[in-house]
Amino acid sequence: MKIENTKAQMRKGVLEFCILSVLKDDDAYVAEILDTLKDAKLLVVEGTIYPLLTRLKNAGLLNYRWEESTSGPPRKYYGLTETGKLFLTELNTTWSELQNAVNLVTNTKKQQEK
Amino acid sequence: MNKTVNINLAGTFFHIDEDAYLKLQHYLEAIKRSFTDSQGRNEIIADIEARIAELFNERVQNDRQVIRIKEVDEVISIMGQPEDYLVDDEIFEDEPQTSYERKSSASKKLFRDTENSYIGGVASGLGHYLGIDTIWIRLLWVLLIFGMGTGILLYILLWILVPEAKTTAEKIMMTGEPVNISNIEKKIKDGFETVTETVSDVAKNVSDSVSNAAKKVDFNKQGNKIKSSSKTFFDTLADVIMFFFKIIAKFIGIILILVGAFALIALIIGWFSVGVANVVNIPGLDLIDIANAGNTPIWLASLLVFFAIGIPFFFLFYLGLKILVNNLKSIGNIAKFTLLGLWLISIIGLVVMGIRQASEHAFNERVIEKQELLITANDTLEVKMTDNDLLRNRYDRHDSFKVASNEKGEKTIYNSDILILVKSTTDSLAHISIEKSADGRDYEKAIERAKNIHYNYTLKGNELNLDPYLSTLSKNKFSDQEVTVILYLPEGTVAKFNNNTKHFLNYRIPSNYVNHYLNVTEEGIICNDCDDDEFEVNIDVPNVKIDKNGIEIKGDKSHLKINDEGINAESEEVKLKIDGDGINIKSDN
Repeated sequence: MKIENTKAQMRKGVLEFCILSVLKDDDAYVAEILDTLKDAKLLVVEGTIYPLLTRLKNAGLLNYRWEESTSGPPRKYYGLTETGKLFLTELNTTWSELQNAVNLVTNTKKQQEK
Repeated sequence: MNKTVNINLAGTFFHIDEDAYLKLQHYLEAIKRSFTDSQGRNEIIADIEARIAELFNERVQNDRQVIRIKEVDEVISIMGQPEDYLVDDEIFEDEPQTSYERKSSASKKLFRDTENSYIGGVASGLGHYLGIDTIWIRLLWVLLIFGMGTGILLYILLWILVPEAKTTAEKIMMTGEPVNISNIEKKIKDGFETVTETVSDVAKNVSDSVSNAAKKVDFNKQGNKIKSSSKTFFDTLADVIMFFFKIIAKFIGIILILVGAFALIALIIGWFSVGVANVVNIPGLDLIDIANAGNTPIWLASLLVFFAIGIPFFFLFYLGLKILVNNLKSIGNIAKFTLLGLWLISIIGLVVMGIRQASEHAFNERVIEKQELLITANDTLEVKMTDNDLLRNRYDRHDSFKVASNEKGEKTIYNSDILILVKSTTDSLAHISIEKSADGRDYEKAIERAKNIHYNYTLKGNELNLDPYLSTLSKNKFSDQEVTVILYLPEGTVAKFNNNTKHFLNYRIPSNYVNHYLNVTEEGIICNDCDDDEFEVNIDVPNVKIDKNGIEIKGDKSHLKINDEGINAESEEVKLKIDGDGINIKSDN
């Protein structure tokens, strides 16, 4: 078992949640989503995001519109649909529960070690 | 100095070095292969291309600058290796499960391996498919070629029907390795792929096979899940049954292939020997032409037969191959319907020919020639068949049939369909009546053919010599020509039929009457000295003699004799004799 694989799995697991979160307030085009995720060090390579975006869009959580750009061809701006918003709310709840659970487990372990 | 290529990436124009272009192309290719159509491949690729164009744009200061391999490497490191694009399906459990069809689980596929080929890559492809070293397959081909050329035909058929492994994915599938990105990348890095292939071409060819492969991966994953959790007895049972069905199906496929192939080979050989021989005019085969009273060209008839029989067998062969090989190239609907049409036309043609042929026998007409013979009552007439070289030793009125040239060099049919009848007459002079009959599609034709029959006889003193055959020019065709010789003999004449007339005689003169003097009376033909039960066995070899006198068998030291006198057996030391006097046994000791 490679540590890299496990790390990648963990990151991929939350990636969907994070993409939806980035789009929570404003629509964004891919480069912007990428910048946010890369700043947060959630993404190592950009490639991973494309199949995810397509899947989320096909699942009806995201939609997109084309917007003219000054520096090149038109850009795809992604935004949340109503379903996407509900989905995100639910994920938020799940995430905080998960966070608590993980914290609890890891902290208990630490206390035992002490 | 470097050659550059112009590309349009997501609507933006770039100059790019050729080596950088190839690298980018392979990169995009590999990514493309990691998605299936159902995942929205085209959309994903379009997004990725747009992003790469954006990244290139950031690195290009003016329009004249060229993208080099360095920029491509940078972009790839940002975008990630093809493996990074793979998204775990388990994250998306709501993905419709129906797309994972079981049938796509076949791992190995039959392709022609043109990379390791001598001719068409069939042998090496089969080698991969069957997991045998190619050398054995090649040896088998050589053996089959000596076996009536079977190998050549089979090879050509496989060459046409089995697709060539063109794309990397196909080349990997051919060897049975799983198609995944790292395998594809490995092959590409090995320089396996011809660099001139255009991206769109490859995408088209690979799309199906890759999606199959992707499904297969999914299926395996599911399979593992089932195994680890709860694999029930019935699942196992179903697997076993499926396995046997597959084996049976393959077996049927093999049988179909063999039947189809052999029938086709036999047909082709037969067709060549008839068709080609007809063109180069091998003697003996004119028989077919002569029997063919309907005047249909021979080449047409043989072609129709060839199609009428060959096409169904071809489909049988094709079906067999289809069962055995799942990715068989389709011969296409046009080809299928053309073959079907051809077959129907052949059948119709054959039926028409058959009707024509049958109608040639619609009328049977005869012409009669009568002539007086200088034979009066109390004369003895000897009847013989003339000896002829033509139908030598075949004094049999059935099935003796020959085509040869006559004195004038014309092709002539000789036929021994001669029947001899004897009738008594109250006339003072004997006469002979020759009835010639033939078939034709109408009255005139039949009469004409009957008239064209030549039949000769000669009377020398009291000896009547009849030809054992009739002849007619071959342009008259074989249309059931017959000659009946009727001898009207005055009462009180004596007739003797030579042994060689035996098979031509009407049943009223039994074969044991032959070679006897027969009296012609009011009631018919009477034999005075014929044995009713004529002894027919006559064996005379050095040690065994069986004839009307009895049986005699001689051994080295013993001797057995059975005849009218009794039984006489002798060995070296004992003698046995059974006769009118009783039984007598003598021993030397």
